[in-house]
Amino acid sequence: MPRLMDMGLEKLRNMVLDMAELSQNTVSTSIDAYVQGRDLRDRIYSWSEELRMLQDEVSELAVELIARYQPVASDLRFIKSCMEVAYGFSRFGRYAHDISDVIGIFGDLSSCDRQAVKEAGSQAKDMIRLSIKAFTERDVELAGRLKKMDDVVDNIYLDFVKKSAHEREGNLKCVVSGTLILRYLERIADHATYVGETVPYIVSGERSARK
Amino acid sequence: MLDGSDIYAKGIDPVTIRRRVGMVFQKPNPFPTMSVYDNVAAGLRLNGERNHSVLDRAVQQSLELAFLWDEVKGDLDKSGASLSGGQQQRLCIARALAVQPEVILMDEPCSALDPTATAKIEELIASIKGNYTVMIVTHNMQQAARVSDFTAFLYLGQLIEYGETTSLFENPVEELTERYLTGKFG
Repeated sequence: MPRLMDMGLEKLRNMVLDMAELSQNTVSTSIDAYVQGRDLRDRIYSWSEELRMLQDEVSELAVELIARYQPVASDLRFIKSCMEVAYGFSRFGRYAHDISDVIGIFGDLSSCDRQAVKEAGSQAKDMIRLSIKAFTERDVELAGRLKKMDDVVDNIYLDFVKKSAHEREGNLKCVVSGTLILRYLERIADHATYVGETVPYIVSGERSARK
Repeated sequence: MLDGSDIYAKGIDPVTIRRRVGMVFQKPNPFPTMSVYDNVAAGLRLNGERNHSVLDRAVQQSLELAFLWDEVKGDLDKSGASLSGGQQQRLCIARALAVQPEVILMDEPCSALDPTATAKIEELIASIKGNYTVMIVTHNMQQAARVSDFTAFLYLGQLIEYGETTSLFENPVEELTERYLTGKFG
């Protein structure tokens, strides 16, 4: 027999999954727009705002479920994780917006080498996809892969910064814009890792230590 | 077992055990023919205490510990049975505290009380737990989560799981505990 709380938990899950889809699209669009040199700031900003509002709705429903049903054990862990994951998705939107802003600030970046951003962007997109799949399917093994993927993005970012710091002849516009975007991608990858970390916590209460 | 001794063993004096272990029951059960004062003093008198000033001090201290003194200090001669349900329960706790037991057992102490009276009992439990071992039986899991430091989950007479309250309620080890806590039975 379904419990009274189950309907609310299902609604919460669906709201988080809606956010997952929208945040994935938002980040993908912002990365693609940068690579293709297209200015899609308005569209990405409106999606980012929508994600922020959805995060508020997730929080409100989570608090309502806690107040009404005083959930414990796996129910409590799931609700807590939904709040964390919704925050992560909202951050995806914010960083996507920041990425799209770079084109607005710097204008035409077609002369810049965008290879590092392409690689980190592709990795970050894969991480978002994987983190959502792991969360949806409660797949601990899949979630465990995210940390190594995160290291890849971290290294691309650090290599770019180190290289830029020692390069005397680099184009300043390309260096600054590349650094900013890679920094945003590095943060996106961190949040995808945090989404993954909720999976073992939901399943068995296991908390992983953050670096 | 109490301090490693079997309290059901031969030769154990039940009166001594009752002095060491105070009890509070589901339904408040003040002695109906006794005043508020006499209810609290009853245990001490049974143990031979006759000194009025000692009794006066013990009654006041116990009623203060039970958060009842301010409400009844002008009516100590009134019948204990004339108090409200919540007050009666706190009177029973004061009666148990008066003999300074080591352990206080409470069997569903709030099941017959409204939320306000329940909150007072829970505050009382929190305030005395530094000096007494308080053991509560409750079917109200939120109450167990609110007032206890350690929780034991018993099911059909078997101890299923015991641990720190936060960890048992957030991350129970046993599947049965998980299902019971989340109401996924049946």
